[in-house]
Amino acid sequence: MVITQPAAPGPAIRLDDLTKTFGPLHAVSGLTLEVAAGQVFGFLGPNGAGKSTTIRMIMGLSAPSSGTATVLGTDAWDDGPGVRARIGYLAGELALPPRLTGDAILGWTARARNVENRSRRHELAERFQADLRRPVGTLSKGNRQKIGIIRAFEHDPELLVLDEPTSGLDPLLQKQFDDLLAETVQRGRTVFLSSHELDEVQRVAHNIAIIRGGELVLADTVSALRARAPRSVELTFSAPVDKAEFDALPGVQVLGQQNGRLVLAVSGEVGPLLEAAASHHAIDILARPADLDVLFRSFYRAPQEVPVAR
Amino acid sequence: MLGDISRLDLRLRRQSSIAYAVGVTAYALLIVVLYPTFRVDTSLNKLTEGDSSLSALFGATGSLTSPDGWMNANLYANFLPLFVLFMTIGYGASAVAGQNEDGTLGDVAVLPRTRAAVLLEKVATLSLLSLPVPLLCLVASLAGHHWQVDLAVGALIGTTIGVALLGVNLGLVALAWGSWTGRRGGALGVATGLAAVSYIVSSLAPVVSWIHPLRFYSLFYWAVGDDQLVNGLSAPGVAVLLSSAVALGAVAWRGFQQLDIR
Ligand SMILES: Nc1ncnc2c1ncn2[C@@H]1O[C@H](COP(=O)(O)OP(=O)(O)OP(=O)(O)O)[C@@H](O)[C@H]1O
Ligand SMILES: [Mg+2]
Repeated sequence: MVITQPAAPGPAIRLDDLTKTFGPLHAVSGLTLEVAAGQVFGFLGPNGAGKSTTIRMIMGLSAPSSGTATVLGTDAWDDGPGVRARIGYLAGELALPPRLTGDAILGWTARARNVENRSRRHELAERFQADLRRPVGTLSKGNRQKIGIIRAFEHDPELLVLDEPTSGLDPLLQKQFDDLLAETVQRGRTVFLSSHELDEVQRVAHNIAIIRGGELVLADTVSALRARAPRSVELTFSAPVDKAEFDALPGVQVLGQQNGRLVLAVSGEVGPLLEAAASHHAIDILARPADLDVLFRSFYRAPQEVPVAR
Repeated sequence: MLGDISRLDLRLRRQSSIAYAVGVTAYALLIVVLYPTFRVDTSLNKLTEGDSSLSALFGATGSLTSPDGWMNANLYANFLPLFVLFMTIGYGASAVAGQNEDGTLGDVAVLPRTRAAVLLEKVATLSLLSLPVPLLCLVASLAGHHWQVDLAVGALIGTTIGVALLGVNLGLVALAWGSWTGRRGGALGVATGLAAVSYIVSSLAPVVSWIHPLRFYSLFYWAVGDDQLVNGLSAPGVAVLLSSAVALGAVAWRGFQQLDIR
C-alpha cells in the first residue's frame, strides 16, 4: 500500500539558480523556477536545451554545479531515499534490460519499492495495451515506452517527473496518456514533464516553461500565453499603404506586403491598429485566432529574433 | 547486503555465469585427471630447472611433478586467478560504469535507497561472484584424491579463499575506477593492467632478483604466489587482502557519491 500523504505545503519543485556545467559548456545556467503542487507543468525547449540535464538534477542523479533543486521540500542532491519513494520517474532515454520481460521488470521495481498492490499495474497495462510477456528487447520503441510509463505511475507517486514521456506513442495512446495525466492531477498529484512539442504540452499543462541554451526564456500559464500570442491579421486597402507606419504601432509586426494587402502579427490590444486601418480606408480584414505555435517557435530561435510581445 | 539490486545483477548474469562455471570446472577436472600421466614424467621438471624465468612467467616454479607443483603450474598460480578475474573485473566494471553507460543505473539510483546502500549491494554481489569458480576448483581438487592429487586440505581451502579475495580486490579496482569516472572501458583497462603487473611481479619474484623485494606490493603474491597450496594462506596475506579490499571499497564509495548518473 502506498500511503497517501497530504500534499506538502509549498511548491512540489523549486529550482533556485540551478546551474550545471560540463567543462566550458553551460548545459543549464541560473535556472529559477517553481512548480506548484497539483498541476501539470510542461518543460519545453529545443534539442540540447538542457531539459534532461535539469531533470537529472531534480532526480538527484547528478549534482548541480551551483544552485539547488528542492523537491517535495527536500534538497534533491543531499537527501535521497525518503523523497525518492514519493517520486515516479521516466528517463528521457529509457534503457531496460533487453532480455527481461515487462512483467519481470515491473515486478522487480515493485518489490524494490515495496509496492504490494498489483492491481494498478494491471490496470495501466490494460489501458496502454502493454505487452508484459515478451522480453523488452523484442518490443518496438513505443511498446517499450509503455513499460517505462507504467513503471513511473505504478506506485502512485505524489510527483511524476517524466522526460519526454510520449516519445514513440501513437496518437491513440497519447490520448490515453493525456487522460492519465488529467486523472493524476485531479487526485492531487503533480506532473513535471518535458517535451519539445508545444502541441502535446498545451493540451495537458497548466503552466509551461521554455528553456533554450540552458537558460529560462519564458515561464507562464498556458492561458496567459494564449492571450499574449500574436494573432495573424490581414488587411486589404484600396491603395498601397506605408508599411513603416504599421510596423511602428505597438505590438504590431508586418510580416508581408503585397500591393494593398498587409499581413501582420498582432499581440496585445488591436485598437490602435484598427484606427490606423480606418484612417487608410481599409476595405477588408481577416483575423485568425492566436497561434501559440508562432509564439513558441519564436522562443526557440536566437534571442534577437524573439518578437517583443507587449 | 544482498538485496533487490544484487538479485537483478545476478539474474542478468545467471546464464553466462553458469556456462562459464561449467567450462572452468571441466578444465580443472581435466588437469586433475591428467596428473597421473605426468607425475612420472621427470622430463617435465627440466622446464623449471635453473630457475627459468620463462616458466616462472607462466606461474611454474619448482617441481612440476609433485601434486602442489602440478596444480600450481596448471591452475592455482595462473588460470584460476585469471578465471576469477574475468568474472570480478567484468562485473566491477559493469556494475556502476557499464550500467551507467547502458542507461540502466539510473533506474536503480532513483529507488528509495541511499547511494551507499546501492554500492554496498554491488560490493556484496561482487564478493558473491568471486566464489563459484574457486569453489568449483576446490571441489575438483578435492576429487583429485582419486587421481593421486593429494593436497593438504587446509592449505587448499586457504588458497581458495586467497583467490576469491584476489578477485574481489581487482573487481573493486574496476568498481572504484568506474565509480569515479563512469567509464567501463577505463575501469576494465586499469583493473586488467594492474592485475597483469601484479601477476608478473609475483611470478617473477622467485627468479628475478630485483623484482624479489617488490613482491610485497603484489596482491597475487599474497593470494597465490607464496606456495599457498603447501603453506596455506598466511595471516599477513589475509590482512593485506582484506584491508586493501576495505580501502578500495571506500574509494569506490567516495567516487559513487559524486557520480553523475545518466
Ligand atoms: N554528461 C555530459 N557531458 C557533456 N555534455 C553534456 C552531458 N550531458 C549533457 N550534455 C550537454 O548539455 C546540453 C543539454 O543536454 P540535455 O540532454 O539536457 O538536452 P535536452 O534539452 O534534454 O535535449 P533533447 O531534447 O535532445 O533531449 C547538450 O549540449 C548536451 O550535449
Ligand atoms: Mg533530453
